[in-house]
Amino acid sequence: MVNFIEILIRGVMLGSVYALVGMGLTLVWGVVGIVNIAHGEFVMLGAYFTFWAFTLLHLNPLLSAAFSIPLFFFAGMVIHKRITERLVREQELSALILTFGMSILIWNLAQFFWTNTYRSVSYLTGNFPFMGLVLAKSKTVSFGLAVGITAALFLFLKYSKWGKAIRATSQNSEVALVCGINTVKTRALTFGMGIALAGAAGAIISLQWVIFPQMGGSYISKTFAIVVLGGLGNIHGALVGGFIIGILEAMVTQYLSAKMAQIIPSMTILIILLLRPTGLFKK
Amino acid sequence: MKTRFGLGIILVMAFLISVPFFATDYWITLLTLILIFAVYASGWNLFSGLTGYTNFGLAWFIGVSGYVSSLLIADYKWLWLFAWPAGALFTGLVSIGVGYILLRIKGVYFAISMVALAEGTRELFGTEYLTPITHGGKGLPFVAGIRLPTLYWSILLVAFFSMMICYKIFSSKFGLRLIAIREDEQAAETLGIHTTKDKIIAFILSAFLVGLAGSIHFTYQNYIDPTFAFNIHLTLTPIVMTLFGGVGTVFGPVIGATLFTLIHEILWAELTLLYMAIFGGILMTLILFFPQGLLGWMKEKRILPRIRKI
Repeated sequence: MVNFIEILIRGVMLGSVYALVGMGLTLVWGVVGIVNIAHGEFVMLGAYFTFWAFTLLHLNPLLSAAFSIPLFFFAGMVIHKRITERLVREQELSALILTFGMSILIWNLAQFFWTNTYRSVSYLTGNFPFMGLVLAKSKTVSFGLAVGITAALFLFLKYSKWGKAIRATSQNSEVALVCGINTVKTRALTFGMGIALAGAAGAIISLQWVIFPQMGGSYISKTFAIVVLGGLGNIHGALVGGFIIGILEAMVTQYLSAKMAQIIPSMTILIILLLRPTGLFKK
Repeated sequence: MKTRFGLGIILVMAFLISVPFFATDYWITLLTLILIFAVYASGWNLFSGLTGYTNFGLAWFIGVSGYVSSLLIADYKWLWLFAWPAGALFTGLVSIGVGYILLRIKGVYFAISMVALAEGTRELFGTEYLTPITHGGKGLPFVAGIRLPTLYWSILLVAFFSMMICYKIFSSKFGLRLIAIREDEQAAETLGIHTTKDKIIAFILSAFLVGLAGSIHFTYQNYIDPTFAFNIHLTLTPIVMTLFGGVGTVFGPVIGATLFTLIHEILWAELTLLYMAIFGGILMTLILFFPQGLLGWMKEKRILPRIRKI
């Protein structure tokens, strides 16, 4: 029983990080209308930012997130204004192919400059004993961080002026425009937020797992599964979806095999798209 | 115009057929690769270029057909001549089911579900449950006992065959119906087009042609494993080639495949480490500044006549 609870907790912690990645993608998808295949690559860049800040500047990984999140936010805004805004009115598929190009461009550059070596941030090693359970310190802190960022995101979207603008643009960008919302700016802001979320998720991931240039690819199929589970542009859905995928992965890895766990995202995508293409939740 | 065009085709074909008699193995190999990718690109273009449903799972066709034919050759000692069509036919048959189920999904969702299909199959083929059949993740080396010129002529035949099919379809009523689906599926349906049936037929044709080239590809490599067979690059490269030459044109994919394979040869030798970055950069540039491709651009500038047959 203790074992089962431990696996469940492991799944929930995993899920909190996946949800962060998924929410970033679904936010951009819903508001900007662009499926950002390069999302996983920004996760990778976020992880490398933390790694280099820790290795070269001996910056506390938790503190470096405070620098990386604004940086990624502005980088995202610039990328959107310069590149992706041109594709907003084009077919969705142009953006799909463009961001694919961006994705391979980024990981290959990362590979070129930082080589394929597996790296990790050795910070907060060891375990917390908690009511007879063994919890890894790094994972527990990461979980706290992920929950904090998620809460901040929800509060921002719910109560701030720009959050409302984002939600309005997501629901109907033309009507939002008529109501006096600067949708061009809103889209740039949203894209920036999506990239910032990816960067934050990368920072958290660097605390727990190894980082390497092609790691983005392993997150993108999980992220799509989460987004599809939650429904396009549905942030609450993505949160729940993240936890579902995290728990499923932890369970299958434990009780079947690690190889089978790799199939879960693709299976989820296919099953959900066939049975409930709008996601698990009603809009 | 028409006779000159026909004469041109005959001359090009005569030259290509005669290549193994005077060229070195290097050039035959290069041409073989160009032709394989030309068929992949034309096959992708046949379905996605006409219907507008972006198939991001082309590697699935290639991998499934490649696996079936490779296993038939390696484990059941089939002759390559029978194993290749068997692989392609199997892929075509499975595609009926896949198309029937997945073609109900539209737009980006279809693209994602095809990626999921290819990735899921790749993982599945590597699991311990399927290892007795697929030889698992460690891969399957095999020898088909085919000489390079024979392989080259086979793929040349397949390429010619698929070009003929594309040419016929692009200028047929069936092609027009597919274009109507691309432009507005609902309107097409209202006009009495059986959209599901037409989409599935195009999907199967694409699967069969790409599968045939896929079988030849893996026989040429003498090796298959899940990562290699369902590799996302096998999906991407043909798409980039098609974009380069011109989406929805008959000869665009072939021109794209030729130019791209040649560029690949040069880049790969010079810039191995940054090859993918350059590839990604080209992809982005094409989408942003050159979305109609080479042939599309030439048609726009009226260097070529604006007809669907080119």
